[in-house]
Amino acid sequence: MSDETFSAPLVQRRKNGRPSAVWIVPLIALVAAGALAVRSYLDTGPTIHITFDTADGIEGGKSQVRYKNVPVGKVTSVDLTPDRHHIVATVKLTHGGASIATEDSQFWVERPRVGVGGVSGLGTLLSGAYIGVDVGTSTEEQKKFVGLEHPPGVTHDQHGTRFRLTTTAAGSLAPQSPIYIQRQSVGSILSIDIAKDGKSTDLEIFVSAPYDHLVTESTTFWNTSGLDVTLDASGLRVNTESLATVVAGGIEFGVRDQAPPTPPAKENTLFRLFPDYRHAMATPDINALPLEMRFDQPIRGTATGVNVEFEGVHIGEVLAIVPDYDEATRQFHFDARANVYPERLGRAYTKLVAEGSRRGLSGPQMLQSLVDRGLRAQLKSSNILTGAYYIDLAWFPDAKPSHVVTKDDVWVVPTERGGTEQIQGHLESILAKVDRIPFEGIVADLDTATKHASTLLGHLDSNVMPAMQGVFVHAETAMGALRESLVSLRDNVAAPDSEIQQSTRSTLEQLERAAYSLRTLADYLGAHPESLLRGREHGAEPKGR
Amino acid sequence: MIRAIDIGLAACETCELVVRTGPDAGVCPRCGEPVHVRKRSARTRSWSFLSAAAILYIPANTLVMMKSDSISSHREDTVLSGIAFLWSEGSWPLAMLVFAASVVIPMVKIASLGVLLVTTGERSTKARHGRTLLYRVLEVAGHWSMLDVFVVALLAAVVQMGPFAKVDPGPAVLPFAGVVILTMLASSSFDPRAIWDRGKA
Repeated sequence: MSDETFSAPLVQRRKNGRPSAVWIVPLIALVAAGALAVRSYLDTGPTIHITFDTADGIEGGKSQVRYKNVPVGKVTSVDLTPDRHHIVATVKLTHGGASIATEDSQFWVERPRVGVGGVSGLGTLLSGAYIGVDVGTSTEEQKKFVGLEHPPGVTHDQHGTRFRLTTTAAGSLAPQSPIYIQRQSVGSILSIDIAKDGKSTDLEIFVSAPYDHLVTESTTFWNTSGLDVTLDASGLRVNTESLATVVAGGIEFGVRDQAPPTPPAKENTLFRLFPDYRHAMATPDINALPLEMRFDQPIRGTATGVNVEFEGVHIGEVLAIVPDYDEATRQFHFDARANVYPERLGRAYTKLVAEGSRRGLSGPQMLQSLVDRGLRAQLKSSNILTGAYYIDLAWFPDAKPSHVVTKDDVWVVPTERGGTEQIQGHLESILAKVDRIPFEGIVADLDTATKHASTLLGHLDSNVMPAMQGVFVHAETAMGALRESLVSLRDNVAAPDSEIQQSTRSTLEQLERAAYSLRTLADYLGAHPESLLRGREHGAEPKGR
Repeated sequence: MIRAIDIGLAACETCELVVRTGPDAGVCPRCGEPVHVRKRSARTRSWSFLSAAAILYIPANTLVMMKSDSISSHREDTVLSGIAFLWSEGSWPLAMLVFAASVVIPMVKIASLGVLLVTTGERSTKARHGRTLLYRVLEVAGHWSMLDVFVVALLAAVVQMGPFAKVDPGPAVLPFAGVVILTMLASSSFDPRAIWDRGKA
């Protein structure tokens, strides 16, 4: 048909079978979409799950995960754990952040925190909380993490060394409390744990580089927490490190003055933490020598920890005081058990030991030789105000001979009465003297003196006062006359038209004129010095001003 | 019904002057544009543009359209999450408008153009009036689907207040614009006269 013949050439078909160039367009679209898909796939990293105690501040779809404040992921949802005790934050990491999903990474929620040591996370006040990450060194992948409730004290990228401390006096120390050397903060406490036996506290601390090499094997650590108020034989002492340590606590470390240099301590070395500076700086107590001293007098006010001194050197402390009863003498005794550290005597001790070994004497025998020379223990009052005592190992050459007894490795040192009783005696004698003062006589004398004084005052009243009145009247008249003359003086002298004023004024005017002439003369002479010899030149008038 | 093609007549596509057509293709005596009884390779072009649009439709809707930062928040929205956000914030009319303009219209356009191309390919004779009407509606409504792109372009240009507020276009903007442009090209290269072509014998 004619219709078919007309329409045939108009319906265009590719004769050579080559696809039309317009198919380039979907190809380009395919490539572009593919590129976008690949890019968005590459941009997304793995999904991880982090468990926290609370979702405070974390929001699904909003909160970020940041490493060194660089966003590395986003919380997509927050759900409760099946047991409803924790929450699980599902985090989609970015491609760049994929590497943080490793075994030893630590996660915590960064919120604004106000502590004694400072304020942190202020930026999160506006931006909202985010999850902080500390990436470890492991390459082992992990998808489920347990988040920390507090930022870790030390992150993996901080250089430094960890040490362990053990103490029985942790005080107000807390994680994050600073570590000081020379009063500079160089580290912090990472964790505090009670030891398994419950009798001491174990601390893990971190000292940052380069100060960690200052921790040597002979370094001592001491607690600088709070105010160190010490009331002892030496009086009242208040010591503190910085305001922050008063509240937050802190640990300072250093080396004893006489300590020989030692190599830097290895990681995780265990140190003892001393309760304060004095204890830390005391000579290390290597050999504790248990002593017992039996006192007949009551040891009121004496408590454990009382100092034992020898020749003024603090060589030990009382551990316990045990009351005892002697059936034979029917008397009460008080046994003071003390630990004495003879090394604290330093060179004296080494020489004593040397002498003992030379003479072939054992420890108790050596002590016996000292006791033979009069060494006795005596209770002494160190501070009358506070009633504090100390035990003094002092010399009493006249004391009765006594013997050192050894029982169960404890050496019993003979004692000497004294100390408080001496003071009591002194006080009694003072009181007796006070008693002897004749107070009644003194009072009678005072009475007489008062009477005399009263009579004298009566005389003054009756004889002197009338005369004084006359004097006052005269003085008043004189004052009136003086006032009158002053008035006339003012009228004559001070009034502007008074004679004196006028004559003074004319005198002053004449003086002024004279001064003017003198100035003119001086000017002329300055210009014509020769006129002194030749007289005034004709026609040259002195020019006045 | 008599068609122009049956009696050797064709309308100029530019100025709509009806001219007589011979065996060779000529130009419009009034405006000088080529006159075709049917557009050249209309189906091929239309199909290619349409498939390109369909491909780009996927990244346009799955990728981030707009990144908005303010002091307290950072949002990255795809078209759909943006609509969900508007809806949850209570701006229901706006959400519906954006949903219609950005999601429904491109999708309906791609689908119905596909239907038109398939039916004309099969030389279907069913519902010719309806399909012609559908094509006209597509031509008119298709212009409105650029709304999202304009919104993002406008916001990104206006809201640049440093750390306080900032709007940046996301990677979905280009594919989205591509979808809109390609569907327009596809519908303009489609020849509605093909709807009226004789059915298969």
